[in-house]
Amino acid sequence: MTTTLLEKEKQITHFSFTGRGSEYFVIEIVNLLLTVLTLGLYYPWAKAKSLQYLYRKTELAGTPFVFHGTGKEMFIGFIKGLGVFIALYAILMYGVLSEDVTTLLITYGVFILGFVALVPMALHGMMRYRTSRTSWRGIHLGYRGELSDMYSTYLIGFFLTILTFGIYGSWFVVKLRKQMIDNVRFGNVSLRYVGDGGDLFLIHVKGYLFSIFTLGIYLFWYTKNLLHFYVNNIVVLQADGTYSRLQCQVSGWEVLKLTVGNILIVVFTLGLGIPLTTTRTMSLIMNNTVMSGHFDADALVQTEEAYDSATYESMTDMMDIGVI
Amino acid sequence: MTFEGKYYNGQSSKGMPAQIALLADGLRIDYCADEVTGSVHWELAGIHRSEFNDATTLLRYGKFPQQSISVVDKRFKEALQQQYRGAAFLKSGYNNVLSLGLSGIAFIALSLLGLLVSFLIWGVPALADRVAMHFPQSYERTLGKQLYTKMLQGYQVDEEKTAALNAYLSELETDLDYPITAAVVKSDEVNAFAIPGGYVVVYEGILDNMEQHEELAALMGHELAHIQNRHSLRAMTRSLSYYMLASVLFGDVSGVAAVLVDNASALRNLEYSRSLELEADREGMELLRRNELNPQGVILLMERLQMGSESEMLAFLSTHPNTGERMKVLNELIGEEKQPYKKNQELERHWERLRED
Repeated sequence: MTTTLLEKEKQITHFSFTGRGSEYFVIEIVNLLLTVLTLGLYYPWAKAKSLQYLYRKTELAGTPFVFHGTGKEMFIGFIKGLGVFIALYAILMYGVLSEDVTTLLITYGVFILGFVALVPMALHGMMRYRTSRTSWRGIHLGYRGELSDMYSTYLIGFFLTILTFGIYGSWFVVKLRKQMIDNVRFGNVSLRYVGDGGDLFLIHVKGYLFSIFTLGIYLFWYTKNLLHFYVNNIVVLQADGTYSRLQCQVSGWEVLKLTVGNILIVVFTLGLGIPLTTTRTMSLIMNNTVMSGHFDADALVQTEEAYDSATYESMTDMMDIGVI
Repeated sequence: MTFEGKYYNGQSSKGMPAQIALLADGLRIDYCADEVTGSVHWELAGIHRSEFNDATTLLRYGKFPQQSISVVDKRFKEALQQQYRGAAFLKSGYNNVLSLGLSGIAFIALSLLGLLVSFLIWGVPALADRVAMHFPQSYERTLGKQLYTKMLQGYQVDEEKTAALNAYLSELETDLDYPITAAVVKSDEVNAFAIPGGYVVVYEGILDNMEQHEELAALMGHELAHIQNRHSLRAMTRSLSYYMLASVLFGDVSGVAAVLVDNASALRNLEYSRSLELEADREGMELLRRNELNPQGVILLMERLQMGSESEMLAFLSTHPNTGERMKVLNELIGEEKQPYKKNQELERHWERLRED
């Protein structure tokens, strides 16, 4: 119970982002150049490089994270992901070209179901890949979730959301986050997601209504509420039973300044300034997020084993599901 | 030379205070925390590549679970560079670019921007043109027929004049890859346009403005040149490719579908580029020559359209810029020399039918 935590025992551990827009801009420029020159083949290596930079500049308690993923791993995942996509589209094309309505309907069904079935696999794979390739002070993160659990959570939630015309969506999102976050291990530290679907639903209702009445101005505060809901409900449990909570202190006004600034940057640089918007966003979120409670940065113990496979990382990337 | 830093052994997150010495064949790390003291030796070959360091230098070593050290001392970075020049773990193309400084980076950014802009200005139209020219003719016909049918739905077709116009066209000697289907629609608008695959729509308004059939021949020559050279298809693929580019950048694919569905109205408002218009003018003239008609017809047409009363909506001219310039070019083409031309009884007969109210 959170109430047993005495105020005086609380300590604050800071996150911070030390990356600079100019540096990240250079990295992305080089990435873009190499990707164009290699007709896109360099993309996985480019992606690995940007993640390596962003992780290296994200610090917890003054120590940076390390991203261990490599371009080669991501390239293999990219090729596999591409294969699945081509196969699905080939099935659909076959249906279209057959000029037979029944065949078309069947292939269309297979195509849609194929996509629905891919999402849990992609989420699962992404969690496994990203966590296993992340370390801090030499301690690796890890993901202990089962693919079958991800499937049942996802498919049940998906159909309930359709049956309730989207109302169940908020509970669905929370269930999915619980499935993802509760299975993360950070050495001998584990995470819990304690958000409630009802709260998320209220945030959405309030967000929709207020945004309409304020002609969209409330959208920034709506975004802030969502951010707080996603971050502040994460609890960090340490092996000795002590715990701390993430706290994001970004305000609606800051979200507004960030968003407007980012839009201006993108428009006036013809999109070349996108790296600057990434570092701006990272700075705002990381520099305003702390861990509050008991966190003994020295007490983490390695619990992961060596890792493999990058397939799923690029699948989510290609489907563009912005989860993290 | 030794430096002070923290050593992480890969088993625990506890940072142990350490003395790091740079030796010829690697690093020696002597750590000491509480009661634990120890020493490890890192071979140079086992050190992982270290990029993007700032005031803190982070080095990692060995297989999973990796050991690491972190040193908050700028001199450590410099000492590494001096001692192990050219070592694999220090090599980084990205760091080299990062150290280029502001002017170098600005140069790269600007040349990339230049590349981007030139791709948008020259690359995209060139690619779109290639696509349009390789578009199979049978598809073009099917597409054109759909557009033509859809467009005529909004107008009342004058059957008699349509028949006369088609007869006029079949009498003209053309050199086209496409069979031509034309329609005259009832409208005061002074306009005419070509649809891919061999379809032409002419408004009554533009016919009413003409006095001699050579003007009609000139107009048809112009429109048929658009068809023969696939101008509308090229203009369409061009605008569509920009649209697709934008939708890829901003992730809105439904917009492309909307353009494809709505292309009938888009076609009507298409503006060909200046060079395409001049090409159509030139080939239109060629049609007059081939049929031994008075080349002045084209000039008459231009003048007529230009002199039309201000209140009239000169749609044909408004989408065809620089009438003055076009006339100049056409006059140069006609030249001083007398072209042989004669009256064509058949064409005039069809023309008369077109003029009847």
